[in-house]
Amino acid sequence: MTAPDPDIARSGAVESSSLESKPAASEPVVVDKTGRVRDRRHWNASLVAGLILTVGFLLLAAVSLFYLPADPNLPAVRDRLLPFGSPGHLFGTDSLGRDVTAQLMLGARTSIYVGAGGALLGLIFGTITGLAAAASGKLTSETIMRGADILLSIPGIVTALVLAATIGAGAETTIIALTIFFVPSFTRVIRAAALRVLEEDFVTAARLYGRRRLFILARHVLPNIAGVLIVQFTLYFAVGILVEAGLSYLGVGVSRPSISWGLMLSEAQQQVGISSPLAVWPGMAIVMVVLGLNLLGDGLRDVLDPKLAKGR
Amino acid sequence: MSTNDVLQVRDLVVSRGRLEAVRGVSFTVGAGQRMGIVGESGAGKSLTALAVMGLLPAGWQTSGSVFHDGVDLTRESDRALSRRRGRTMSMVFQDPLSALNPTKRVGVQITWVIRRHTGASQAEARAQALDLMTQMHLPRPESLMRSFPHELSGGQRQRIMIAMALACYPRLIIADEPTTALDVTVQKQVLTLLDEAVSERGSALLMITHDLPVIAALCDTVAVMYGGRIVETGPVDRVFQTPRHHYTRGLLKSQPTMDNIALDGSSRLPSIPGMVPPLTDMPAGCAFRPRCAASTDICATMPELDDGHTSVACWHPIVHAAAGLSR
Repeated sequence: MTAPDPDIARSGAVESSSLESKPAASEPVVVDKTGRVRDRRHWNASLVAGLILTVGFLLLAAVSLFYLPADPNLPAVRDRLLPFGSPGHLFGTDSLGRDVTAQLMLGARTSIYVGAGGALLGLIFGTITGLAAAASGKLTSETIMRGADILLSIPGIVTALVLAATIGAGAETTIIALTIFFVPSFTRVIRAAALRVLEEDFVTAARLYGRRRLFILARHVLPNIAGVLIVQFTLYFAVGILVEAGLSYLGVGVSRPSISWGLMLSEAQQQVGISSPLAVWPGMAIVMVVLGLNLLGDGLRDVLDPKLAKGR
Repeated sequence: MSTNDVLQVRDLVVSRGRLEAVRGVSFTVGAGQRMGIVGESGAGKSLTALAVMGLLPAGWQTSGSVFHDGVDLTRESDRALSRRRGRTMSMVFQDPLSALNPTKRVGVQITWVIRRHTGASQAEARAQALDLMTQMHLPRPESLMRSFPHELSGGQRQRIMIAMALACYPRLIIADEPTTALDVTVQKQVLTLLDEAVSERGSALLMITHDLPVIAALCDTVAVMYGGRIVETGPVDRVFQTPRHHYTRGLLKSQPTMDNIALDGSSRLPSIPGMVPPLTDMPAGCAFRPRCAASTDICATMPELDDGHTSVACWHPIVHAAAGLSR
């Protein structure tokens, strides 16, 4: 998971050399050879750590598309509960002799599918409702925001259970539940960010040049809140992974033959004491990925939204 | 009104609830004319400009009429107004950095203005933008087009703003303190650009500033605003040489010149005593009354600004012997 990525290694080098070439560390703005002013506030520790963890996680899932060490659903009675480092089974096998390495890799894929899917859909719908609330009159705005309050007051787990009961448990159901769960939060954040941009002079200027609401929202506001969108996406990606693992653990999320880290935890629970590492691997995977995404989100926020970083 | 009048403002009142920030302002700007509005902060200059453009901040209301080329803008729909903004009338802002979108290249922002109001293709708009930037005497326009606002100097940014304002050959240009954020040398260049725009294109210019030398250098007529009203108006030469309102004279006297400053710092620049009263506490009658040395009881009644005769709203106008006789 933490396999060193060449890009990261190189960017680390860029960071150190830029620090050396810049004696006044408090002055992050430098002028490069072409005479353009460049901002060198770009790298910080949490961003680099978060990128390493996240890219490792994405790579793990990407490799699983082409290569799996074994069939993760194929039981092998003679190879039950093999320990870590067994030949052919790096992370050992579970109580039915299924390869844990392959399960971990497929679990990463499920996490990305569900977590990113939920965060992305939440982001899209939240952007639409958030921008609409920011740019419209009091009545529409209040309706949207109070609607968001009502949605927020319903516990996400209840939404997920009801959906699982009505349309059946599965990855897609979890994505829908996550979307419903995320949209109100995204709406609030995006409305607040858009309201700040709408106060800016260049929005007044755009209106003075005859531009109307839709153009201003799409071409002026959206690019200026892109940083907020990216940061929120990474943070909710992590929340989505946690919720997915939780639901699968409870048995209302992903189930065999699909594999999820939460599902693996739930199965490993019966072996705790007999083979504890079985619960450690998926648990650690969840911790590392969620930590990585949160570090990435925090690091990106410092880079993309310096005003917010200063205020913290 | 004459058909040559690009902008005619009549009894404009801008208010928010019971607060009146602009209290009955009337003036006319003709084609090829440069008019200056001068006054302290809070005199209502910027709100007058925004009211003309129909873009007052939320909560502000207007009454009175604003004729632009014979059309009453206060009766136009928002859609019709937005078709005019940027095309027949446009505005230059005080702070060009905040008036440009930081995430978009300046070339893109200029072409947006052109494409909003003309059927120009992307390529045509780009060519026009390049042409405009050349007219603004911007160096290396091709590479500047690809720059982001923060990569330009203050003067370059303001020239980009003026290029955007002039993009569609507007009949009316409003400049709200366009030189305040700039160095003096750059100020001169920006003023020259605005001056060229007016004389070459026959536009009308409404220059809003608190900088008297800017008015003197650029404008034909001037209106002095105080407390939301025009207190004196007339040709720049007449008003600046023989001010008739006590406020105008006070403003002119408080300008540093070679005569009234001593280089060793021994002398003090004359100032007008007191402060501009807040909107919530405007005195009845002449708003300048509490600060005016010549005020008497009659000043509690509002003096009229008689446009044809004296063009000063004061019960005790200053009399200039020679000028007064010849007039």
